Amino acid sequence: MATAKEFVLRVSKIDGVAGCLLVRDDGVLLGQTLDDPEVFSSLVVLSGSLGQDIMARTGFSYCRHLSYLRRGKRHFYVFPIENYLLGVVQRSDSYVPDMLDAVYRLISRVSTRSSAVAAGGS
Amino acid sequence: MLQLIDELKTIPGVVGACIYGSDEGVLATNLPSIFRPQRLETVGKHLGKLYSAGQMSFDDLTDVSLHYDESVVVARELRKNQLIFAICDPTFNHNLLTMSFNLLQEELEQGRFAEAETPVAEAADGPGAAGALPCDQPAEELQELLGEMREKLGKVLGPMAGFIFDEAAEAWQKQGRCAISTIEALINLLNQEIADETKAETYRKLIAPALRAFQER
Repeated sequence: MATAKEFVLRVSKIDGVAGCLLVRDDGVLLGQTLDDPEVFSSLVVLSGSLGQDIMARTGFSYCRHLSYLRRGKRHFYVFPIENYLLGVVQRSDSYVPDMLDAVYRLISRVSTRSSAVAAGGS
Repeated sequence: MLQLIDELKTIPGVVGACIYGSDEGVLATNLPSIFRPQRLETVGKHLGKLYSAGQMSFDDLTDVSLHYDESVVVARELRKNQLIFAICDPTFNHNLLTMSFNLLQEELEQGRFAEAETPVAEAADGPGAAGALPCDQPAEELQELLGEMREKLGKVLGPMAGFIFDEAAEAWQKQGRCAISTIEALINLLNQEIADETKAETYRKLIAPALRAFQER
């Protein structure tokens, strides 16, 4: 994974994903395939921060993702990836377990310790 | 309210649930004691923020869920400023929980729970009296516990304790069903009156044996 934008493009190509965005935990948008990323980027950052705090309070070990479930089935997911947060909008007709598995697989291949995503939207 | 969350606990994989009001704090919980009340307060507050933020972005938001390695937290707004959240094993049946949340919401909207409440009992006299409470526990047993809590409060707050306790108990009564599962709401109200973290902790230690004994009955 060379750049944040490539990573975002690959996530977007996953079957069932309508669009996604990647932000740094300080709110800087690194890449997106959504029409209105500003709407989502604040939500993503807030979700990441509160999700981590709940984790600390309850003693849970690792936050895999947060979901905003919607009546229209276009659910929104937030995946914390170390200092980054990936927001994913699901297509309403997608099979969720398969889509989530594919996103997890891709995330597991990203090493944020290297220069991968940290390349910062170049 | 306790009945609601007790029913949720029968769903396979659901560890327990909590009803949180943004003004009242924890209103009812049947989560294991490892989830301490102060932590549940913070979790409830954070979930409330997450839910509100979600509603600003999505007008058709139903639930917010947080997936951790060992647990899943699912939150739903029951009514304005009131949230229910369940803590579950990762293998829980999400559809079943969603359906139960839907039913619960529907029943709340139709006011079935208010109708189900027992009539207000006659107030008893003496220091053990906690006032008239619509309890779903046998009234005498709960009042015995409340009496003990009232007495222990005296060790922390002195001569005004009885008066303060009665006021808090009355406020607790107004919040809904009075039962052991909602006792945390009463303790929170008392903590607000104590207004001192160390004293509040002392009070909690003082009443812990009585609470434990009541729960083990």
